Amino acid sequence: MTVFKTFFKVVKAYRGTIIFYTILLIVFGGMNFQTNDNSMTFTNTKPDIAIVNKDSDNPITNNLIKYLKKNAKIIKLDDSESKRNDALFYRDVNYIIYIPKNYGKTISEGKKVELSIKKTPDYNAYLAYIMLKRYLKVQNIYTKTNTDEREIIKNINNSLDNNTKVKVMSKLNTTELSNMNSYFNFASYSIMAIVIFIVCLVLSGFHEESIIKRTIISSMDYKRYNRLILISGIIYTIITWLVFTILGFFLLKETLFSLRGLIYLFNSLLFTMCSLTIALLVSSLLNNKNAVNGIVNVIALGSSFLCGAFVPSSFLPKSVLNFSKILPTYWYINTNDTLAKLEIINLNSLRNVFSNMIIILIFILVFIILNNIITKYKRKIG
Amino acid sequence: MENVIEVKNLTKEYKNLKAIDNLSFNVYEGEILGLLGPNGSGKSTTINCILSLLNYQSGNIKIFSKKMEPNSYDIKKDIGVIFQDVAVFNELTVYENIDYFCGLYIKDKILRKEYVFDAIKLVGLEDFVKFYPKQLSGGLLRRLNIACGIAHKPRLIFLDEPTVAVDPQSRNNILDGIKQLRDNGATIIYTTHYMEEVELLCDRIIILDKGKIIAEGSSDELKKNATTVEKITVELTSITKEIIDKIETLKNIDDVYINDNIVVITYKKDANNLEKLIDLLKDNNVSYNSIFSERPTLNDVFLELTGKDLRD
Repeated sequence: MTVFKTFFKVVKAYRGTIIFYTILLIVFGGMNFQTNDNSMTFTNTKPDIAIVNKDSDNPITNNLIKYLKKNAKIIKLDDSESKRNDALFYRDVNYIIYIPKNYGKTISEGKKVELSIKKTPDYNAYLAYIMLKRYLKVQNIYTKTNTDEREIIKNINNSLDNNTKVKVMSKLNTTELSNMNSYFNFASYSIMAIVIFIVCLVLSGFHEESIIKRTIISSMDYKRYNRLILISGIIYTIITWLVFTILGFFLLKETLFSLRGLIYLFNSLLFTMCSLTIALLVSSLLNNKNAVNGIVNVIALGSSFLCGAFVPSSFLPKSVLNFSKILPTYWYINTNDTLAKLEIINLNSLRNVFSNMIIILIFILVFIILNNIITKYKRKIG
Repeated sequence: MENVIEVKNLTKEYKNLKAIDNLSFNVYEGEILGLLGPNGSGKSTTINCILSLLNYQSGNIKIFSKKMEPNSYDIKKDIGVIFQDVAVFNELTVYENIDYFCGLYIKDKILRKEYVFDAIKLVGLEDFVKFYPKQLSGGLLRRLNIACGIAHKPRLIFLDEPTVAVDPQSRNNILDGIKQLRDNGATIIYTTHYMEEVELLCDRIIILDKGKIIAEGSSDELKKNATTVEKITVELTSITKEIIDKIETLKNIDDVYINDNIVVITYKKDANNLEKLIDLLKDNNVSYNSIFSERPTLNDVFLELTGKDLRD
């Protein structure tokens, strides 16, 4: 317990660093959230339409006007073409529909009549065009088979009133997925920095030659001592991962505990353990507290930049991505990005995810083997 | 007296260099043994071999009558080591540091707390319990280093130059603490470059050179074995070759050293040498500013035996 307790007392001494990297994650993760907020709520907008009606009081024409009034905002303009052009120029209206003389009558006779249009080159005009096109399509269908005006109007209105109810079956949506992806991608930097920084700093104390000597000549079995340090390191790493999981829950809510979220979590756990093995390797190679900061910047910051933790990997040059394949962060982020794009989750679709995870496991194994070789070599020299 | 350490025919070689050459000695219960020698004489190698921190080619080492090996944890529990380099955690307070190192030996929390406070009291760090090592002066840091090594109340203590770069107050405190440890029954092996500390503390001294013992005994015994028995230093107003020649004709003279106007004369025998020298100077009308006689110091013995000053 003495070694275990001391490990965490030393960790506590670096709580400022831990808090700093956690805040970085919240701040930058939060910023990404806002960037990605392409919300799922829509506001109903109506295009501004002006109608120039040259027809007489015809039920078919009146029904078209009624439909337009229902679905658009009708703007009344002076009966002057120059005024209408000005209104279009100043975007007072988006769409002007010219209804020609005898329009209703000609339509009811089953003939075709062209409606003249003037429009602004924008989205609202397009919206008005879609709306009008829809009406005319339906009108065209019923005027072909029927000549009774009342019947035509009734059928048109019935058809246009048909609404399709859409029920959202899944609680996941693209924004939440994007947020989750941003959070876990950025977390790669915070996790790596916190784990490598703290573990290296703590171990540099335990690995100081004079302290090792004092420990070797103590009555504690040195192998047991090393085992206790390793276990403490693993526990610290798991606690770090749990903190980020809890933080993730506050930011992502129930999305985190969907099947997709759980895979994200498992991936981050693997990556956290991989960071621990990197930290163990670094601390066996180098035992200088002053150098730790530089090493963390090179490893954590460097790999985060190269592998797309800060900038989406799709923005990175192919040569950079090819190079970053030698880093575990690349496979971690690749897994996250793959998960974010998956339409459905099943064993088949997760094949790429699993293979990435196996690659991270291989990285873990390689780092452990390298660490053992270096430690044995150093012991031999000593 | 019971043997605490028995070293027999110890030999340690590094490639072509014999660091320790067939070394044998004993350390007895309750004594402070001074291990002296110039740099590279094999002191640290001997200590590291005794503690099983280094492998050795041949020889036999017993501590508390048991063979000392790397996994002799039953022996190690009664050993405390204070190395020259300070071995503490900068992130822990004075109390936490001592508690940690004591905790490597003592599991019982209540007993450990008592031991930790005893160690703090012994080295005089009562006012610095909650201080971090960075907040301590060099002397206080050395005291903390000692407290970390002896808190578990070991029966055998190795102290490797514990007073290097320490202020006089801390040095006195450390030396008092070491005496107290001895008085409490601990056996101590002490290495230092300060002769006055050796003379003050050590019951017995071993002088090593080139991995071999070249002298062994108490401070007085070593001085007795020295060829020089008296040293007279005289500061003349002016030196002439004639007067130096006349001094050299005096009886019992071993050697004459001249440094500016100061002449140091060493004698092989103690026989009114000062009186005879004063008479000679008077007879030759040679005036002097000061003249004094002294017994050879341990440093003189060391110089005579090794040809080097202890601090070289």
